[in-house]
Amino acid sequence: MSPDILDETTEVWFGPQHVSAHGWAAKLTLVGDYVVECDPNAGYFHRSAEKCLEFRNFRQGSLIMERLCMLEAFLAEYPYIQAVEKIAELEVPERAKVMRTIMMEASRIHSLQFWWGQFSAELGLFAMLLWPWVDREFFLDTFEELSGSRHAVSYSTPGGVKYDFNDKVLKKLDIALERFEDRMPMMRDMLMGSPTFRARTEGIGQYTLKQGLKFGLSGPPIKACGLPMDLRKDAPDPNLAYDMIDWEVPVTESKEHPGESDAYDRMVQRFKEMETSVEIIRKLLPLVPEGPIIDSKARAKANRLPEGEAYGRVEGTRGISTLWLKTTDKAQTPYRAKIRGPCFNSYYSLKHLVPGAKFADFIVVFGSLDPYPGWWDR
Amino acid sequence: MSEGAPISAATFGRQIVNKFPGVECIPKEDGILECIVPADKIRDVVGMIDEEIHDAFPESVFGVDLQEDKYELIYIFWSRTNRTQYHLRVSLEGSNPEVETVCDIFPGMEWHERETHEMFGIGFKGHPDLRLLLLPEELEGKFPLRKSFVTDRARLEEADRTPPKPNATEGGASE
Repeated sequence: MSPDILDETTEVWFGPQHVSAHGWAAKLTLVGDYVVECDPNAGYFHRSAEKCLEFRNFRQGSLIMERLCMLEAFLAEYPYIQAVEKIAELEVPERAKVMRTIMMEASRIHSLQFWWGQFSAELGLFAMLLWPWVDREFFLDTFEELSGSRHAVSYSTPGGVKYDFNDKVLKKLDIALERFEDRMPMMRDMLMGSPTFRARTEGIGQYTLKQGLKFGLSGPPIKACGLPMDLRKDAPDPNLAYDMIDWEVPVTESKEHPGESDAYDRMVQRFKEMETSVEIIRKLLPLVPEGPIIDSKARAKANRLPEGEAYGRVEGTRGISTLWLKTTDKAQTPYRAKIRGPCFNSYYSLKHLVPGAKFADFIVVFGSLDPYPGWWDR
Repeated sequence: MSEGAPISAATFGRQIVNKFPGVECIPKEDGILECIVPADKIRDVVGMIDEEIHDAFPESVFGVDLQEDKYELIYIFWSRTNRTQYHLRVSLEGSNPEVETVCDIFPGMEWHERETHEMFGIGFKGHPDLRLLLLPEELEGKFPLRKSFVTDRARLEEADRTPPKPNATEGGASE
């Protein structure tokens, strides 16, 4: 694809001051209008979260975790909670399980709405930036009513959840969902039907399923290749409620290039993800049982943990997020905590996916993988 | 990618042990197969995972500092078909521990190894690019995730950084 007649190369830093590059930068080597080499740089946000976790107790740790990705805070904090619950052998009340799951899915919709607006803006479609972001406000209102905070919700805690549902929360959640269901199909068709959008995304950033797996991509970028790899179904967590209801993992199988995905397929996939999340919430809402929201002994049990190792994993909006936790006997803080952010790999894979693309398509490849700097910098 | 019937964790563990007798495999609950791998066998075992498991997904590789110059590397792979996590554990010793890279088999491991290198000082032989990934060039002191690394306010002066100003004790006019 790269033209041979031009042998002069130009190096361009994309970011960190570029408006689309909020806290990251990639060094692109160009020949003419084509990128021949891409060197993604990380570390602009690095706050050593893993070391910080070694100095926080087991109830404080999730606060660091949710700050790694504020857009999916309910999901980002969960691997840590899951690992602590495994080591401390905590029982989670039924009510808390269902409530957690509902809020995690609401968080997923909100995160995808953010991405959808931002990706459109990166393509130059600025009208589509604000419309989903207006609808997203209604989810943030719900989070605020529930926890008092729009982003840093710190909802799950070892052994249950911190805040109970009430009528106001449920009303606000219902308004957010109704508004979403009402407006999303119209906006989706407007965006996806646009010839500009199709021309910018079709055939861009294309890879096969096998390549995607080898790069360590997960979540929508893999499901858009047609493989329903989803931890919610494949490794259901006993402390979440995904197995209480009947639902299907959405996949996108392209007709033009089966087994591969391009930026357009990943866009289609994420719209399906949002619809699935709405379906899960709608099915779970009537199933919220009465009862306590936290095990009354959980606080004491999570104070000091026995010696152990546990691996917490959750299917986040952007892929598989995990936390590996090692504790020593009667310790108040972890001995080692390793965070795996899904975007660590999707950002890395730009190195392989971008060369050969035009310079203007770089941001399309980047945006279609939905990377969030907090996940790789930590 | 529908080829291949699922292989259970115990069966695959036996296959590894038969092929590489130095390896020890223990199937655990939650669908985890834990393999204790000698450092010189890691490329063989990862290569076998790549050949035998068609949907092997490289999740992570990271270090653990066990103190007194002992380290552990943990490689994690996930297979959706087999519903199994493969945890490969490699013990390393010495002040400059080293192991062979696997990032030519699974490119997704490249940055994980690069991060482990800068955070723990564990070398990866044959890795194409071991520049600093997350840390700044000007950081003094090495290997932040080793237990011996001093994390203290005192480090600010050591690294020639201005310590934070003390809180004002009395009010004053704004400039």
